[in-house]
Amino acid sequence: VTQIMEHSEQARNRFQSELEFIQCLANPNYLNFLAQRGFLRERPFINYLKYLLYWKEPEYAKFLKYPHCLHMLELLQYEHFRKELVNAQCAKFIDEQQLLHWQHYSRKRTRLQQALAEQQQPQQQPPPHGNTTRSI
Amino acid sequence: DPNMAAVAEKSTKERLLSVLDDLEVLSRELIEMLALSRSQKLPQPGEDTQILELLVQRDREFQELMEVAQQQGKVHQEMQLLEKEVEKRDSDIQQLQKQLKEAEHILATAVYQAKEKLKSIDKARKGSISSEEIIKYAHRISASNAVCAPLNWVPGDPRRPYPTDLEMRSGMLGHMANLPTNGVNGHLPGDALAAGRLPDVLTPNYHWHSSDVPVGMLPPHHGNDFGLEPPGHNKENEDDVEAMSTDSSSSSSDSD
Repeated sequence: VTQIMEHSEQARNRFQSELEFIQCLANPNYLNFLAQRGFLRERPFINYLKYLLYWKEPEYAKFLKYPHCLHMLELLQYEHFRKELVNAQCAKFIDEQQLLHWQHYSRKRTRLQQALAEQQQPQQQPPPHGNTTRSI
Repeated sequence: DPNMAAVAEKSTKERLLSVLDDLEVLSRELIEMLALSRSQKLPQPGEDTQILELLVQRDREFQELMEVAQQQGKVHQEMQLLEKEVEKRDSDIQQLQKQLKEAEHILATAVYQAKEKLKSIDKARKGSISSEEIIKYAHRISASNAVCAPLNWVPGDPRRPYPTDLEMRSGMLGHMANLPTNGVNGHLPGDALAAGRLPDVLTPNYHWHSSDVPVGMLPPHHGNDFGLEPPGHNKENEDDVEAMSTDSSSSSSDSD
């Protein structure tokens, strides 16, 4: 009985560690770190990355807090991507793009709010000149 | 018998015609004889009787043949009627055949489309997730700013859409990294943290290293053979196999 319990305990630990590890892949700096240490060239590691694809299934994916990691995992399946990650500039570029993407929605929302605010202004204040053109 | 065969071969029409010929010949002879008998005496007595008898005989034959011919005509008519019937039945059968083929085609199409529908139903079922779960998950990833930046984010804010060094360090793997004898270290994020910065991070709302894992949740079976290649590839990395397994005993692979 203890063996069975141990087994599920180990499996839980494995689950947790894999959950943590896969989400770390969302961090381009970490990917750069892995690439520079040569891990991304090792066949066992590459096989492990392929194995981790199971996190794409809904019953596993729902535990991911940082879903960007799934996209990175998919990209990591390609040798070309793994090779490029050795460059710090590459990692920096990915980081920048990732942040911009991350900010996209809030920026859009801010713009919408600004546009809305600007639309309401002419109704509240009289136009500054007597013979104005339409300001909207 | 050869006579019978000869007679059997001759068609009724031929026989009728030959009898008519005979009648013609005999009548001519009789008329000639009668014509001659006016001027001279008959060379052969009784020849006229002979010819008359032959005539009567031939006439009788003729009558019989005519009856036969009539019968044959009736039979022929019947045959024609039957042939017409056969033709009609044939065309009926062909018509049915066409309709059956059409029906088969329509049914085949219907069956095919039904199968396609079933396939897509199956597919939809497989991919179905409760809306509640989706909403939960959407909340999870957005409330923690994991997929969408906080509205007050400015450059300099340490928050990121990925786990930062501090978060990595505070996780289970980060703690494992501090164990000196653990041979698994080399491949885990623990090392990454050694050269890390110490940013001022806000504690995430949700544990990214989920403590709310249901009891039955298990990662898929993998054994410990990430080093194994399909035949033909080089095997130089097999030493690293042990390092990749996250638990040293990997009992999951033994029990099989």
